Amino acid sequence: MGIVSSITRRTFLIGSSAIAGGVAFGIFAARQEPENPLVATLEEGEATFNPWVLIDSEKVTLIAPHGDKGQGVLSTQAALIAEEMDLDWGDFDVSFGEPSGAYWNRGFAEEGVPFMSTDDSRMAETMRGIVGGITKLAQVQGTGGSTSMPDSYVKLREAGAMARETLKAAASAKTGVPVSDLKTEIGKVILPDGSELKYTDLAADAADITPIKDTPLRDPSEWKYLGKPMERLDIVAKSTGTMMYGADLSVDGMKFATVCVNPRQGGEMLGFDATAAEALPGVEKVFPITNGVAAVASNTWYAIQAVRAVEFDWGPAPYPAEQDAHWTALENSFGEENLDSEWRNDGDVTTVEGEKVEAEYRSPYVAHAPLEPMNAIVKVTDDGVEIWTGHQMPIFLTQQVAAVAGIEPEQVTFHNQFMGGSFGHRLEFEHIKQAVEVAMEMKGTPVKMTYSREEDFAHDFPRHISMGRCTGVHADGKVVGLDVAVSSPSVLASQGGRLGQGLPGPDSQIAAGAWNNPYGFDNYRMRAYRAPELAPVSSWRAVGANGAGFIFDTILDETIHAAGADPLEERIRLMDHEPSRIALETVGEMSSWGGELAPNQGRGVAYVESFGVPTAQVVQVTNDDGFIKIDKVWIALDVGRVLDPVNFENLVQGGVVFGLGHAMNSEITYSDGMALQTNYHAHEAMRLYQTPEIFVRGLENQPKMRGVGEPPVPVAAPSLGNAIFAATGQRIREMPFNKYVDFV
Amino acid sequence: MKYLMILAASLIGTQAFAAGETVEINPPAEGSISTEDALAAWDRIYEVASHPRCSNCHVGPSNLPMWSGPSYGKARPHGMNINAGESRVGAEFVQCSTCHAYREIATGDRLEHSAPQVAMDWRLAPVEAEWFGKSSVEVCNQLRNPELNGDRDYLAIASHLDHDLILHWAWNPGAGREPAPYSLQEHVNDVLAWGVGGMPCAND
Amino acid sequence: MKLTVNGTEHEVEVDPNMPLLWVLRDEIGLTGTKYGCGIAQCGACTVHVDGQAVRSCQVAIGDLNGDVTTIEGIGNPETLHAVQESWVEHQVAQCGYCQSGQIMQAASMLEFNPDPSDDVIDAVMSGNLCRCGTYPRIRAAVKTAAAKIREA
Repeated sequence: MGIVSSITRRTFLIGSSAIAGGVAFGIFAARQEPENPLVATLEEGEATFNPWVLIDSEKVTLIAPHGDKGQGVLSTQAALIAEEMDLDWGDFDVSFGEPSGAYWNRGFAEEGVPFMSTDDSRMAETMRGIVGGITKLAQVQGTGGSTSMPDSYVKLREAGAMARETLKAAASAKTGVPVSDLKTEIGKVILPDGSELKYTDLAADAADITPIKDTPLRDPSEWKYLGKPMERLDIVAKSTGTMMYGADLSVDGMKFATVCVNPRQGGEMLGFDATAAEALPGVEKVFPITNGVAAVASNTWYAIQAVRAVEFDWGPAPYPAEQDAHWTALENSFGEENLDSEWRNDGDVTTVEGEKVEAEYRSPYVAHAPLEPMNAIVKVTDDGVEIWTGHQMPIFLTQQVAAVAGIEPEQVTFHNQFMGGSFGHRLEFEHIKQAVEVAMEMKGTPVKMTYSREEDFAHDFPRHISMGRCTGVHADGKVVGLDVAVSSPSVLASQGGRLGQGLPGPDSQIAAGAWNNPYGFDNYRMRAYRAPELAPVSSWRAVGANGAGFIFDTILDETIHAAGADPLEERIRLMDHEPSRIALETVGEMSSWGGELAPNQGRGVAYVESFGVPTAQVVQVTNDDGFIKIDKVWIALDVGRVLDPVNFENLVQGGVVFGLGHAMNSEITYSDGMALQTNYHAHEAMRLYQTPEIFVRGLENQPKMRGVGEPPVPVAAPSLGNAIFAATGQRIREMPFNKYVDFV
Repeated sequence: MKYLMILAASLIGTQAFAAGETVEINPPAEGSISTEDALAAWDRIYEVASHPRCSNCHVGPSNLPMWSGPSYGKARPHGMNINAGESRVGAEFVQCSTCHAYREIATGDRLEHSAPQVAMDWRLAPVEAEWFGKSSVEVCNQLRNPELNGDRDYLAIASHLDHDLILHWAWNPGAGREPAPYSLQEHVNDVLAWGVGGMPCAND
Repeated sequence: MKLTVNGTEHEVEVDPNMPLLWVLRDEIGLTGTKYGCGIAQCGACTVHVDGQAVRSCQVAIGDLNGDVTTIEGIGNPETLHAVQESWVEHQVAQCGYCQSGQIMQAASMLEFNPDPSDDVIDAVMSGNLCRCGTYPRIRAAVKTAAAKIREA
């Protein structure tokens, strides 16, 4: 059984209702043109069909529109359908489907509204509905913001239930047995006499039946797969080298290419000399593309050698050439004219009586650097463009490809692929557009364009830098006020700008991780200042909460220490949100907070909410003769419901490693307009020997279904910094921490 | 143990070297080098010995190669938790040659920060020859002591410099690395001069 | 130039400077071995040459001296190698892109030392980068694989 079947556009066209004696639930809806702007009409179409299940006489295929960059959502999406549909685990194919507005992401609406995730008020919910409608009309199909499960949790189970009930109706029509007497299990309808009808054998009959909707969903107590350990569908392929990532695919007649584009991102190429490059072995063609040069060859390595042999005349960077100027720009942005939004102003922090703690914090640019470098296979013909790559935004991708090729988006066929990581880089389109330019030059020939690692680092669109200026006020051993100001460039404006989209309101990501923590301070002000655009930046796993969350939790920790209070107890005292308080109490219990430690050990606690997930973490470090060793980590997060406990633990542990590793040693800095870090030697993050024991607890106290891809990351930096302070007395206010301490 | 076989194989590997730089071994006439000149030669030798291209792999019983020098910032042990083991070739853990591959025929330019390679199995210097962080006097006394220098006189030391391709690499490290000072031939000449001058050290 | 990969002899006409990695991927079409960094920093390209773990991005094909085994050569979905079996049991992979290299490094270590201590595992497996952070599971899976190999 192939894990991912390739459903081509052609299959979809043939199969609008019945394909080769099969049934495609809701494929008709998926094919509907999105020209009708009325939400009501779309909802009606959507209610009638669902675009996630496809059955023919051979097999059942489930459509998992959320891209899989390693987080395992292909499996979990399939499990949601299989649970209600009574499929045998693994006895089906899964496809990423095609770009379609039918796969709009409801989850994006949650993050797009200016209400705290913990705010369930009517106003907040109404706004989420409105933004959801816009997301739907704009057909924002995408993967990001830890939305895959919030988006899929109900609708994919409904899709499974619909398919199951429709297949039962088909069996009933065929056999005359009333539906109420039919059961389903492991891909079959079971008749009262024990005889079985395979779903695949019922496909042709089901095609003639109006899908049955509004079937009540099963109670979680009845679940067979969800909530229990499941074998990830991709795990065998990923353990045997047989998983085909975009970088591994081969298309008949394919050639290999790479590009070298001005490492001053967005800067022009003033000139180039490819004489030496063209003379190298295996090189077929060297030619200019936007801001750089491409080489096509018989082997990727030849192509990489070729662009390295090109002499370039690069134009200047459209942003300050030196890193210091980037920080200066942030320093200069804490003024009224740059105020993006005052997110909180509870009480009056300016007049509250008490001792003050003042501090300034910095969070650097950081690269996504997924291990699979950016790549795409593109074939350009007179009919249109066919593209194979792994991407988080399928519909935007087809629009971008079409714009470069000068065709209509409908002429673009996109085959989404498993991704060897992303962390946000595969939200970007620069490499996609370059691959299309290369293929246009090689019209008729499919070309696989692969970045060298150096190209990937130079064009990473790193996490935005941010700076915090904060005051904490304490009195009588308690925190009585907090004044947090964060300045950073707008990551959403930078990303949107490259798509030709403006950002109408304030950028929530400047303040994320600082404004939205549900503490009940009597006096709390949180102001976000928008610095001018500097280097182009992009969403980096957990986005704004990395910088602002570090700033927020560290000033809180500093103030708590100054007050002489216990870091965990004081956070619990201040917390004004039950699931969050439980998360804090849970890490306290897990770590036996307050227990005996060696004199050279220390513990730090942090709490940061991101993407609606209250997350608390305790880190324990040892100061080993001047080297900091991270011993243990305890983390508790509330996602509403844990759907796959094994994958959940893996993702959370990975998030902890990712957050701690980059906080320890990773940053991108600019000099002469170029990122100084060109490969992993200078941007290493965590390695195995540095990895602490990580204890994970998934909590299920909050009412909403949440995703867990990002929330484990932002607590890492503050909890580590707080632990280092506890162990050494040294307060670190800037990432990466290895500027100030050595790590084992 | 299987790794011992590999260790043996890698020792044989040290005999192999590609046609690299040719070094002339022409010691100055006996008596022609004053102690002062010999000490001056030693100072230059120490500049080489203490240079990161050399000292990073002349580490002591920690068996941990170092990363130091202009492109590394602060000195630190080789990344990736690399430990060359008592075998000094990494046989107990990851062999040095896992990344520092044998390179003889290939000639192309290497990428910055790629693993140094020569036509020999990469290895640490013997533990006795601990130079990293050691003073000029300490290194000088080690190098003239036959019990600590592989039972070599100065001619044998010069000859060793001629034959050990890892040492040749120090002057031709490529990939954006700063070479060791002087040239291989100048270094050999200094060793010969220091030897003819009586292998003096500043503490004599 | 001739080379033997997973027991099969191949003849390729390429620049002798070409790294083994790119011969495997783009000439022979064995894509289980991954390109991650090209400078021996990530370990995604790890293969075995005569049983020893080697970063294939660092071995010029002209200097290859020995038989090559890739991830495809130690086992397959139907017949898993003990290390692969353990990787499946522990559900190690997230994105999975580094795992071919991790598995090849682990398999080579266990061939030489089927009872590695925690310190040995930490020393051997730290040259392989995992951006997703699956290190806790890699540690556990290596131990399970070691036990399987010892019992076999």
